[in-house]
Amino acid sequence: MSKKKDETIEYVKNGKRLDGRGLEELRPLKIEAGVLSRADGSCALEWGQNKVVAAVYGPREALPKHIQNPYKALVNFQYRMATFSVPDRKNPRPGRREMEISKISGEALEKAIFLERFPNTTIDVFVEILDSNAGTRVAALAAASVALADAGIPMRDMVSAVGVGKAGGEVILDLNKDEEDAPDAVDIPLAILPRTEEIVLLQMDGLLRPEEWKKAIALGIKGCKQVYGVQKEALRKKYLEAEKEEAEPNTEAAAHGEGE
Amino acid sequence: MKKRIVIPGELVSEERKKVGPHVFVENGKIYSDSLGLIYNDSQDASVVALHGKYVPQRDDLIIGVVVQETFGGYIVDINSFYFSFVSKEFIRDRLQRGSIISAKIMSVNEINEAELGQVRFFFGGEIINISPVKVPRVIGKNASMMEALKLGTGANIMVGRNGRIWAKGGNTQLLAEAIKKIEAESHLSNLTNKIEAFLKEKNKGVKEGDLFEQEKR
Repeated sequence: MSKKKDETIEYVKNGKRLDGRGLEELRPLKIEAGVLSRADGSCALEWGQNKVVAAVYGPREALPKHIQNPYKALVNFQYRMATFSVPDRKNPRPGRREMEISKISGEALEKAIFLERFPNTTIDVFVEILDSNAGTRVAALAAASVALADAGIPMRDMVSAVGVGKAGGEVILDLNKDEEDAPDAVDIPLAILPRTEEIVLLQMDGLLRPEEWKKAIALGIKGCKQVYGVQKEALRKKYLEAEKEEAEPNTEAAAHGEGE
Repeated sequence: MKKRIVIPGELVSEERKKVGPHVFVENGKIYSDSLGLIYNDSQDASVVALHGKYVPQRDDLIIGVVVQETFGGYIVDINSFYFSFVSKEFIRDRLQRGSIISAKIMSVNEINEAELGQVRFFFGGEIINISPVKVPRVIGKNASMMEALKLGTGANIMVGRNGRIWAKGGNTQLLAEAIKKIEAESHLSNLTNKIEAFLKEKNKGVKEGDLFEQEKR
């Protein structure tokens, strides 16, 4: 949506946003774990128009040897955008933005992983953005966290992330591209460890009043917990039948018996 | 016996319990550190992980593949973070690149490097790979699953803790199928009976005692 001078867009109308969502509503989020057979752990995530694939390899020996740390494992996070992920072609060479996101996301994950158990090794996390519409760094982080759990890497907690911010004078959850381009837009990518509510990633673009800030962070944490719920379901999905079977072994066995 | 699936960071127990594998304690509560199963009736707080890499432990029996020969010994891939070294002093057989050995882990140091001992060399056979966390299911309680596999396929089996299974003779193709099934259904209960039934179904029409002869034909 291109914005001309003197043209005003109503970002929030009757409590609804441009795409019909409420102020505190996430875009539809779908996560699937274990999608790549050759990776140790993997995850595919769709969040509104964002499409992300994450793969985890390791812990494996860090090479060249001089990068090894004998006290802890390294986290090598690589965030990349596909050339076709944005309206104009994106140069595939990693730019300033991608390097920054890779660095901060890796550091966010480091807080969750028991790194000291794997000295001299590296945990490689590769995240490819296939389609994007604002909030890809939080999508990448949420996908990477699921992929790490799928790889069986010991973690203190999952990492759940969400974008929160302001558009059209209202504090809103999970901004899309149109809202991010609003004249008064504020964008805060936020990632937490949901159990302790520790913040592991926080950036801000724009200006907020103190009370708006407080509201935004509280809303962000609420959003992260929703994302956590989806992550949890994605990881458990494959094994849920086992749980069901345990819960009601007799009824199920009886049903099978009758069927035969 | 009730089970529950837990994900990293999920509460396992609020009580004080003996701490088992794949859990950690924070503020007096016990949490899981990986995706796994917990059994509500177990005495200690532990999680059976569903995914993960092999971390060498003392006294584990592992199956390794020779990667390289050096002047004094062999470098062996044990499916862990590093390769291990076996000195020629302790081996009579002359090994080559690709030779398969079994060994016991004598010690592990603080950076997870393993020292091997009691090295034995395998003649022939094949290797089937599985996830290292699922090795206990392939062995079963009192090796019941291994017994079932041996009877059902007629193969000679040796299971390494590092997720490698050596098999020779009998119907190894069927064995690979059965092991794949074990890996896919490792989180379900009553697995040994299911595998026994599976092997019985597959072996229909094969005379008893014929299994061991299959390879010769």
